[in-house]
Amino acid sequence: MTNSKLNYKLTKKDFNQINRRSLFGFQLGWNYERMQNTGYLYTMLPQLRKIYGDKSPELKEMMKTETQFFNTSNFFNTIITGIDLAMQEHEGIESRETVASLKVGLMGPFAAIGDSIFAALIPTIFGALAASMAAEGNPIGVIIWIIANLAICVFRWKQLHFAYEQGTSLVTDMRDRLNALTDSATVLGVFMVGALVATMINIKFAWVPHIGKVTMDIQNNLDMIIPKLLPALLVGFVYWLLGRKKMTSTKAILIVLVLCVVLGGLGIIAKA
Amino acid sequence: MIAWWQILLLTLYAGYEILDELQIYSSLNTPVGAGLVAGIIMGDMGKGLMIGAAMQLMVLGVGTFGGASKIDATTGTVLATAFSVSVSGLSWQAAVSSIAVPVAAIMVQLDVLARFTNTYFAHRIDHFIDEQNYKAIERNFLYGAIPWALSRAIPVFVALAFGRGLVQNIANALNSDWKWLGTGLTVAGAALPAVGFAILLRYLPVKKHIAYLILGFTVTTLFATMFTNIQTLGTGLAAASKGFTTVFNGLPMLAIALLGLGLAILHYKGIPLSKAKSSNASDASQSVEKTSSDANDEGEITDDEL
Repeated sequence: MTNSKLNYKLTKKDFNQINRRSLFGFQLGWNYERMQNTGYLYTMLPQLRKIYGDKSPELKEMMKTETQFFNTSNFFNTIITGIDLAMQEHEGIESRETVASLKVGLMGPFAAIGDSIFAALIPTIFGALAASMAAEGNPIGVIIWIIANLAICVFRWKQLHFAYEQGTSLVTDMRDRLNALTDSATVLGVFMVGALVATMINIKFAWVPHIGKVTMDIQNNLDMIIPKLLPALLVGFVYWLLGRKKMTSTKAILIVLVLCVVLGGLGIIAKA
Repeated sequence: MIAWWQILLLTLYAGYEILDELQIYSSLNTPVGAGLVAGIIMGDMGKGLMIGAAMQLMVLGVGTFGGASKIDATTGTVLATAFSVSVSGLSWQAAVSSIAVPVAAIMVQLDVLARFTNTYFAHRIDHFIDEQNYKAIERNFLYGAIPWALSRAIPVFVALAFGRGLVQNIANALNSDWKWLGTGLTVAGAALPAVGFAILLRYLPVKKHIAYLILGFTVTTLFATMFTNIQTLGTGLAAASKGFTTVFNGLPMLAIALLGLGLAILHYKGIPLSKAKSSNASDASQSVEKTSSDANDEGEITDDEL
């Protein structure tokens, strides 16, 4: 009875609709209870209706399956959607359990890869570039970043159909290549952080203690060891701070704020 | 003064910004993008960009570190830019540490509120799935945009419409009786990017790639010192001699980034994984598992997306 209905094949129009919904709507329903669950259903609902037919018990069953807990990178979610739909298109309601475990199995790895590439590396590299130009009042860096993000949107658009065609084999292939790419990209990320520490933290020692008749220019002495030692030390301190238990990034920001206000107010450190 | 249309545009932008961040991520949602937009609206793009840059650097790694709700540097940038331009005597550095950072920290609570509100819509969707009411499912999903947008737009509107007098009083105090605090806030504004870099290092596999961190820092600090000194020298010479007209630019960061890119390419070509893959598929899948577990050990990756 179930299989007789399964004669719908996804068209180019369907893919475009899913992509539109994913790109402009996927995370609107983000909630604490099941995170992206409603977003996942929303992106594929019209296609589920076409596969199972309106008002069918199978559709209701699948809608319930697709609103279970889900959370992954919103740059990779349509890969999972593509594989999911390819399975349902072939096997219908029979694929329910496979689809459910596939979603649970894939959301973690894709969250990890997506985070390291799109939430950490790209914002680091382009954000740093945009910020270092913006610090001189130049908006070109922001525009470069916008162009890069448009290119990423194209990539997000293409991956759905790709995943639909390739199925699960894509995941192992992609993870392989992405791991090597991610690892190399972290090299650039780490290098850039080093460069940013050296240029974007503009503080120096202002305190000139007098020991007897000798005046000690601390900053000048430090410059002879290596320039920008104070920014490097500050970053090292915060790095250590973040490793402590119950420390959050917001707390760390507030601690540094207070510390620098006090040291700056006392005239020990100053803006370079 | 802030004109009514400026308040309106900034409020609309605040509502748009979070939706952009959740969806297409155009980078107009980022602090530096907010600085550009708010700067243009307020008529001082340079100041907006500088505030945006400082906040951008402060939160470079925040998106991926600890917890679902992150410090809202974008909204902080909008308010700091608006007040820094419209309130006299408020430098952009002081605006960063006295307005942008506290606002960004407080906004975390409103982000939490928006996510809670959406749980209500998720339950309504469960209900409409039982009724097979497809239009209602989609409608209730899209309603999720409302709490998101309002969670940013309302605070920005209230602060801009009613907060200027208060901020002007604070700015006056920082320039007179509380001068030391004003100085301290300015220093803090210049130091805050350090937090962003440290967060990022916590996230990146810094122990594995420590050599590149040292290289990046040392090469840049040497070049930066050289460029700065040459600029100083050039300014001095130009002042001393009218015949000296050469202009020296500052250190171009893009060049430093290209150095890093070169190293990354060398590293990529040196990864044996790709060779193993072409010669032996089973070897490759093993090494994939190995590298992926390595990656999980190194990065402090949480499942929360935002």
